[in-house]
Amino acid sequence: MNIQEYFYLVFSDYTLRTITLGTAILGAVTGMLGSFAVLRKQSLLGDAISHAALPGIAISFLITGAKDSNTLLLGALVSGLIGTFWIRGIITKTHLKSDTALGLILSLFFGFGMLLLTFIQKQPNANQAGLDKYLFGQAATLIESDVWMMAIVTGLCLFVLLLFWKEFKILLFDKDYAKTLGFNTKTIDVLITSFIVLAIVLGLQTVGVVLMSAMLLAPAAAARQWTNSLAKMVFLAALFGACSGVFGTAISASQNNLSTGPVIVIVAAVFVFISFVFSPSRGLLFKQIRFIKNRRDLELHKTLAFMYGIAETHENISHPHEIKILNNFQGFTKGTLKKLVEKKYVIIKGTTWSLTNEGFKSASNLYNQLTQQDE
Amino acid sequence: MSSAQFEIQLIASLVAIACAIPGTFLVLRKMAMISDAISHSILPGIVVGFFITQDLNSPLLILLAAITGVITVVLVEYIQKTGLVKEDTAIGLVFPVLFSVGVIMIAKNANDVHLDVDAVLLGELAFAPFDRLLISEVDVGPKSLWVIGIILMITITLLIAFFKELKLSTFDKGLAASLGFSPAIIHYGLMSVSSITTVGAFDAVGAILVVALMIAPSASAYLLTKNLKKMLFLSIVFGVFSAISGYWFANWLDASIAGSITTLLGLLFLAIYLFAPNKGIIAVLYREKQQRTEVSLLTFLLHLKNHDEVSERHVNHLNEHINWQKVRAKTVLDLAIKNNMIVIDNNIVSLTSKGNTFTSQAIDYIITNEDAQIEDMKDDFFLFRG
Repeated sequence: MNIQEYFYLVFSDYTLRTITLGTAILGAVTGMLGSFAVLRKQSLLGDAISHAALPGIAISFLITGAKDSNTLLLGALVSGLIGTFWIRGIITKTHLKSDTALGLILSLFFGFGMLLLTFIQKQPNANQAGLDKYLFGQAATLIESDVWMMAIVTGLCLFVLLLFWKEFKILLFDKDYAKTLGFNTKTIDVLITSFIVLAIVLGLQTVGVVLMSAMLLAPAAAARQWTNSLAKMVFLAALFGACSGVFGTAISASQNNLSTGPVIVIVAAVFVFISFVFSPSRGLLFKQIRFIKNRRDLELHKTLAFMYGIAETHENISHPHEIKILNNFQGFTKGTLKKLVEKKYVIIKGTTWSLTNEGFKSASNLYNQLTQQDE
Repeated sequence: MSSAQFEIQLIASLVAIACAIPGTFLVLRKMAMISDAISHSILPGIVVGFFITQDLNSPLLILLAAITGVITVVLVEYIQKTGLVKEDTAIGLVFPVLFSVGVIMIAKNANDVHLDVDAVLLGELAFAPFDRLLISEVDVGPKSLWVIGIILMITITLLIAFFKELKLSTFDKGLAASLGFSPAIIHYGLMSVSSITTVGAFDAVGAILVVALMIAPSASAYLLTKNLKKMLFLSIVFGVFSAISGYWFANWLDASIAGSITTLLGLLFLAIYLFAPNKGIIAVLYREKQQRTEVSLLTFLLHLKNHDEVSERHVNHLNEHINWQKVRAKTVLDLAIKNNMIVIDNNIVSLTSKGNTFTSQAIDYIITNEDAQIEDMKDDFFLFRG
């Protein structure tokens, strides 16, 4: 299937259009809220919540006996919230640390959910098949009303986010300051956590319990590398999330036997990888380049300082010296010598070098200049 | 009880013990979420191993999967070291990706492989007794019993051999390093044992529920004791208890054994979380309330010491002045009288000599910034606590 065909299908085929739209919206909203989770150091909360949502789905099925995805997600929301607040209770009231609390709630709720699911499967009610799609997610089961639901929630998120922007921001970076300014930090905290839970619950149907945490984290972690501004980061994360959704769907649609959820996660991971390596300010590649450049500069300075030390002992600073005597010195390479010549600090004649006036001056100011720059 | 039932319970108990031992150290080292990451990311290792061996219980598969587990830890630490993201984000990024790779590998080869994600993640203990190990045509027991038995033996041997090193490096990394025990070796040793245990147990209880068996018993035990040996012992007891009772619960409900073991672990943790003598939520809340009353009492006594005038020491005036609710004021007054700190004469409150010494000492401690000493002082002076 070539790209043109695919584009044609996206607009004409109901299923593909719905899934593409759904995953794009999902990616955007999880990326947006994920930024807050990552910055609040609650990255693994998403993992815990998505697992904790499982018993809610099972219980709401047991109560209603119907497979309406909205009621099931409501159940998931409630049990996700219970899980979140229990985690908080464990962390604040006991000496158990946050990782233990997260792991506890994650595994215990999930196990309980599994118990309920297997219990449901043994029930005579024939309607129960397909509940396990929430485990691994099946984007193919998305229908238009689900996408509308996602769009509405995303709109709501965006609205609340814009409305409480400065409150969220200040809570994120300086909680104590927010408190002294008189903001009710607890309410804001609960609000943002609830929205994170909501976004996770929405994604369960598409990417499933296990991979949901990556949807939350990956776009935000990628976006973090490109900017230091919260607004830009949230925007970029939403963009990365939406792109991973669209590309992931496209790749999984073009091949047989490829479930959408894992492909989306891998696409998001590729975004993270690219950001980690190629981001201009924080990326590993540029960091390495800067590192090498700095080392070269340092070597240049070292050579110059060494030359200065020699030239100082002579009355005539331009007195020629053999290049050989530089060899004992670590900072010296042919490259640095050439560079010094280019800068007109040094003149080379045959096998000798001599410092120019300019070179002498800048060498004597070497450390003064550096300290001035530091200030 | 048939022999299959007995074998299931035996396997479940062995898994519980094998998980509880590394789990205790993971909880103490604040690395509980690593076990979650490992349990997910061993999937590609299992899949590759399965392609090669076609047997879920072969040693090669266990080895490959365990290596994947260790790779996960290394990757997490590498990403963390770059300083681009925090540790928890690094964990959260690595394991879903590895897990996705595993899922895709299974999906692409779904037609010729008898392995599906459900089986790996959720496991089915009920089928464990049917996969027998035959040595020269003689039936020596279920395969998973042997696998987990061997892993448990190794774990226990390592635990006994390196107990003091583990203990030391868990509680004081710096001291351990300066005494010459390499923290890296102990760290990766623990990680390897956790990986191997996870792999050995996933067949029986499923990868995710291994996490429950690792964390929940140790977390429950941690709420009850501060002694490492007792904690290990308690978490093993909790694990085995929930394994056996979970089996019968599942039997009664006709549902997943692993799920019901976890549910019982959850109930156990909930009970301990609520009722643990010192660290339980009820004890904590009670202590907080007690502290609040006692701090109020101290404030009140200080107020009395500061004011000699009769008007400042009238009961009603105290109500208005310190701005306490009636009930609270009454609690504080009652507590003070019970402890012989004050006497009330004609609605005028005055300090007794005992109250006076208590208050002067408290002031000394507060001025010299040794507030913690006040707790000990309370033990000396108080007949009744708040």
